[in-house]
Amino acid sequence: MARHLSFTGFAWKNLRRRRLRTLLTLVGITMGIGAFVALVGFSRAFEHEWMRLYTSSGTDIAVVETNFMNTSLDESIGHQIGAVPDVAVAVPMIFNLLDLTPDVNALVYGWRADSYELDSLILLSGRRFRDGQPEVILGKNLADDLKKRSGDSLPIQGTNFTVTGVFHGGTALEEGAVIMPLDQLQTISSMQGKVTAFHVRLRPVPAGEAYDRYVKRAEAEIEAAVPGVHADPAADRAANNQLVALAHSVAWGTSSIALLIGILGIANTMAMSVFERTREIGILRALGWKGRHVILLILTEAAALGLAGGFLGIAAGWTALLVLSAMPQTASIVSASVAPLHLAESLLIAIAAGLVAGAYPAWRAARLSPVEALRYE
Amino acid sequence: MSSPLLEARGLVKSYDDGRIAALRGVDVRIEAGEYVTISGPSGSGKSTLLHMLGGLDLPTRGEVLFRGSPLGSAVDLDTYRSRQVGFIFQAFYLLPTLCAAENVQVAMLAMNERANHRAERAAALLEEMGLKDRMRHYPNELSAGERQRVAIARALANDPAILLADEPTGNLDTANTAHIMEILRGIREQRGMTLVIVTHEKEIASSAPRHIRIRDGRIEA
Repeated sequence: MARHLSFTGFAWKNLRRRRLRTLLTLVGITMGIGAFVALVGFSRAFEHEWMRLYTSSGTDIAVVETNFMNTSLDESIGHQIGAVPDVAVAVPMIFNLLDLTPDVNALVYGWRADSYELDSLILLSGRRFRDGQPEVILGKNLADDLKKRSGDSLPIQGTNFTVTGVFHGGTALEEGAVIMPLDQLQTISSMQGKVTAFHVRLRPVPAGEAYDRYVKRAEAEIEAAVPGVHADPAADRAANNQLVALAHSVAWGTSSIALLIGILGIANTMAMSVFERTREIGILRALGWKGRHVILLILTEAAALGLAGGFLGIAAGWTALLVLSAMPQTASIVSASVAPLHLAESLLIAIAAGLVAGAYPAWRAARLSPVEALRYE
Repeated sequence: MSSPLLEARGLVKSYDDGRIAALRGVDVRIEAGEYVTISGPSGSGKSTLLHMLGGLDLPTRGEVLFRGSPLGSAVDLDTYRSRQVGFIFQAFYLLPTLCAAENVQVAMLAMNERANHRAERAAALLEEMGLKDRMRHYPNELSAGERQRVAIARALANDPAILLADEPTGNLDTANTAHIMEILRGIREQRGMTLVIVTHEKEIASSAPRHIRIRDGRIEA
């Protein structure tokens, strides 16, 4: 019995013919997809961690100035926000990113000692900090990285702080963070009387009213009561804050460039392949292959390259995330978990990249005149 | 009078904006089951005529009719080539990445045949060509005569009505030439196929009941 020849088998044999070139092309698309998996995966995980940061503490609304990073509100407006009927409690906070050692930088939060947000943390050792004192509590990951325990001293921006406790937080953003009294962070950040945002917890949702509608109404009430502020739902704040937006932009920008290089690699390979196989394409046309069969063959080869590059890229990207999540410099903001949807999306992008890259060579191959292709030397 | 199987009417083929004329008004009628040879000097237009008859190319003027219908308009060229015509070339034109059996199957890939059927048919045709033990050999592992026999099997894969051979023995020694010609004549007799061979070898040209001589793009006799 003769060996079966399928369409995909034929495409596979063509790819195997120039193994080195196929391999180099795979490296290109693998890098593109790897960058996409790692960077976009990271930025999405980062957004997810922000979301969890709000949800774990029970924050419904974040009140900020115009933008998150440079937002600066007067601490004194807290009572105006707190006076809004649907607001149960509004707590001021400062958020910053500081170098703790030459190797370790960390997210630093300034909270009041009575902030409801402290309730979502689990103290593993020591106690909470006190307002007005140079005291901090450290997330478990950060404490491990810095090799600090309760009672140790930690210099931050020229001030010696005492580590009063080590906590387990609900998110990677907290696990790698320093939390200190609001007044202390105001002092070392030169933000006396100013805060980054107010986190608001609303009263229980009135019976018969949907949560989203309730939050929207409360936002309007806060913005009316305190002119010049933005009240955003916590979920929107997590998705739209400038750090997350920056992470998304960098991730998509870098991976788009890497993907483009991968696509150009496949396009080059397929164009070269079509060029070298001109006579063979003429033979296929002489045997009665229609233009669409030739297109299908070339696109199958290109999509197979994309698919293989997709699998390899996922492996490479995931490995990169695992490494980053284990490194002290990045552990606080990188999660090693990748959503299955992101993996599926990466594979689809890889296949689509192959198809896009193969489209023009395939179209050219299909347009070859059989007799001219057969004459080709 | 019924339509012939193939008919060329006033075929003109020119290249380079008309500066080079390969065919200058050729009229040919070929009946079903006929065995015809076409010969002529190099550049006389014999291969160009074969390409037109096989639907590989379209004439600049004139037309080729298959069973009375013009190729390229009433008859789709791709469909005509895949279902009605089997080509055999001087240089064999086997695909180097495929073994003998796969080279035969590749002609059937575009025909929506079942994979099993394709493989069975390829095996049967190669066996008929005396290549039962060479099915898994790649073209570079076959002799010239064996390669041409694989090419003949491939030409027969879709059971065409017409077999068109362009210098089928041009790359073969005397023994293989005789063998290939015997196979081609045998196929024609057993299957009742129409056989058109372009050749520059006098013996082959004169072996057919009808011999067309072509010179400077015109038929001489």
